[in-house]
Amino acid sequence: MIRGTVIGQVWATRKARGLEGQTLLLVAARDADGALTGRLIVASDVLDARAGEDVTVALGSGARNVLKPGPDNRDLLCDAAIAAIVEGAD
Amino acid sequence: MFLGRVAGTVWSTVKWPEAKGLKLLLVRPYRLGDLPPGAVAGGAGGASVPTDDLVVCADILDAGPGDDVLVAFGHAARVAISDKLPPGTKPNVPIDAAVVAIVDRVALGS
Repeated sequence: MIRGTVIGQVWATRKARGLEGQTLLLVAARDADGALTGRLIVASDVLDARAGEDVTVALGSGARNVLKPGPDNRDLLCDAAIAAIVEGAD
Repeated sequence: MFLGRVAGTVWSTVKWPEAKGLKLLLVRPYRLGDLPPGAVAGGAGGASVPTDDLVVCADILDAGPGDDVLVAFGHAARVAISDKLPPGTKPNVPIDAAVVAIVDRVALGS
């Protein structure tokens, strides 16, 4: 997982069928010291995260498990998902 | 996934047979420094030098140069293109990145 801050939302009309209904947030990644790395990630959101909130983003099959736990989720189109809204880190 | 801009097209004749007809695009990922200042409250804007490599992506949405797109990696990329592949081949194709959306709008802030 990586850590970052939600900075906005992405809207798209023309998209792959598997993305229908997904909320897609733009996340700015942070490093171990909390500094912005410059990298941007687009993550699916089911936790209703808002701009300005610090989050963790799960990648790969971990991301699919956020949307739908269990082994029967390999048809999901998801490679990054907000896994937690962070309240504090030190 | 990442947000990027289509920079060009790649084509080849020698390739994995079931990948025939699959269009390949070159996409340059956006970085934080490409966004307007203040995109992150209290942020310094991040690294402004684009250091990411271009990514070669399969495209089923007919995106073109200059379009802003979302690109998925790994298994999600193969799921996205599986509709366009011959029956029985999915998802065992040598594709690890695919355009999954053509972006209309990015709303920064809340």
